[in-house]
Amino acid sequence: MNPEMGFKISHLQSMLLFAVLISIAFGFLSRRRPMERVKYILWSLFLFLLIGVGIGWAMYPFSR
Amino acid sequence: MADETAAPAAPPQDSRSEAMAFVIGVAGWLVPGLGHALLKMWGRATACFLTVGLLVILGAGMRGNVFTSTGNDAFDSLGYLADLGTGTFYLLARSLETKGADVSHARGDYGTRFLATAGVLNLLAALHAYEAARGRKA
Repeated sequence: MNPEMGFKISHLQSMLLFAVLISIAFGFLSRRRPMERVKYILWSLFLFLLIGVGIGWAMYPFSR
Repeated sequence: MADETAAPAAPPQDSRSEAMAFVIGVAGWLVPGLGHALLKMWGRATACFLTVGLLVILGAGMRGNVFTSTGNDAFDSLGYLADLGTGTFYLLARSLETKGADVSHARGDYGTRFLATAGVLNLLAALHAYEAARGRKA
């Protein structure tokens, strides 16, 4: 981390970090059993990324 | 004449457990994960503490906007409310961001979202702890 600039991470890395952290929190809050939590976290992460990349491509024609 | 449609007064035990649930909810808001820790839900407590903490550290590190009470418009006020949701971690975000916000770059904008999400997530976790303390299925 550069104190002048802060963390330097790309759009994709930001989205990945966000998706991973929120999926973990949702998984732990909404499920009790460890296996159910893992399944929920993976499914939630997959949907976060799918929808994020999907919206990104949907906006691509209007980006220039 | 007594109002027969009124609900009967809650027994003292219920009102005490309701007060305890409220305290647990407030504790969960002030320190992310503390509400669940008081209920001995260690996994959830750890997950809340780490995810909210990491979002705050990353958000402040990316020079996101940590809103203050002196906002100019409704969006600033809403951002302030969301940031306040992190409880004491709001002060951590303020102390980490010594250089101030920089939303002229995308990462600063992402940082602002990270901070707001941390607050809303912590409010959700505190509400979850409150409901669990009241005996709702959690």
